[in-house]
Amino acid sequence: MMFRFEVNPSLCTGCRTCELACAFTHTKNQKPGRSRIYPIGYAKDEYVPVTCLQCDEAACIKSCMFDALRRNEETGAIELNLERCVKCEACVAACPFGCALIDNVHEEIVKCDLCGGSPACAQFCPTKALEYKKIA
Amino acid sequence: MLLAVIRREGVDVPALCEHEAIEPCGSCRLCMVEITKKEWDGWKNHVTSCLYPVEDGLIVSTHTDQVMEIRKTILDLYMARCPGSEVIQKMAEEYGIYKTSYITVPDADNCIMCYACTRICEVLGKSAIAAVERGHRKVIAPPFGDVPPDCIGCLSCAHICPTDVIKWNDEDGTRTIWKKNFELITCKECGKNIISREFADYIIEKREVPAEYFETCDDCKRAEVARKMGSLVTRAKEVSL
Repeated sequence: MMFRFEVNPSLCTGCRTCELACAFTHTKNQKPGRSRIYPIGYAKDEYVPVTCLQCDEAACIKSCMFDALRRNEETGAIELNLERCVKCEACVAACPFGCALIDNVHEEIVKCDLCGGSPACAQFCPTKALEYKKIA
Repeated sequence: MLLAVIRREGVDVPALCEHEAIEPCGSCRLCMVEITKKEWDGWKNHVTSCLYPVEDGLIVSTHTDQVMEIRKTILDLYMARCPGSEVIQKMAEEYGIYKTSYITVPDADNCIMCYACTRICEVLGKSAIAAVERGHRKVIAPPFGDVPPDCIGCLSCAHICPTDVIKWNDEDGTRTIWKKNFELITCKECGKNIISREFADYIIEKREVPAEYFETCDDCKRAEVARKMGSLVTRAKEVSL
């Protein structure tokens, strides 16, 4: 089964529900984590939800010297193994879309992992600007 | 190794020198467990679980009285060696040690000689630091106690250090670690400091990542994505009208 994470910026209202859903899904020690998705305004009342594109030839995987970033073949998402991560911030600097982030609350590096196959942001998006669609 | 299996089964065994990114070396001795086998006729052995290979029929006990006693002694010694380390203090308190029964090391620097820093530097392919001198004078240091020529200022050693001994300082676009100064890349749009120039050059050269990826900070890169995608949306709307 193949899925595709679709972002449709023309439907985004900038309500930031996805940010909340993401932060609370990644809660640890009763503290919400840093959101991996950001609706960014580019004009008045026009927003683009920016999140990891799970690139085929990913700069984050290439730049990680400790092999902490690997692709999950099942979901296609690039997942960060926190046990291997030493927080050198190479991936944060290398990602051309700025989607590997530093979480100052939990003091760790975070990036979108598609919630292991059911992204919370897409489930909570009220306007369906974010969708996780079955394609085959 | 055995420690990975113990952790997988949800049993809490302490360890300081262990990290998945580096090879285990069994230097902190805290992951000590008791092993035996049916055919050993009651003989048992104490081993560091991070270095012991898993095998069929192995019976492992992680919290026997003897194992606890070994761990307590090690933590007691660590308390004497690292009186200022919060990590050690917290760990020792869990085992009921609040004060060391040994004489505290004068001018202690909290280093437990676990070699996590030198091992991670090796994984990175630099080996800029190593253990020098012998016995009680042994310290982790750059060659000849001088500025390390191979250090690229990535801070991996400082981040992996379990007792936070390795200090660094980021100030006015300059990073200082091991007495070496590094130029930090400054975002060309907002001026935020990113990683050190030498670390970025190392990644660019070794992993063939395009150099222009390192010019701006993550915030500015996300804003750029929004601008570019936004302009496409605007154009699509104009066309449909």
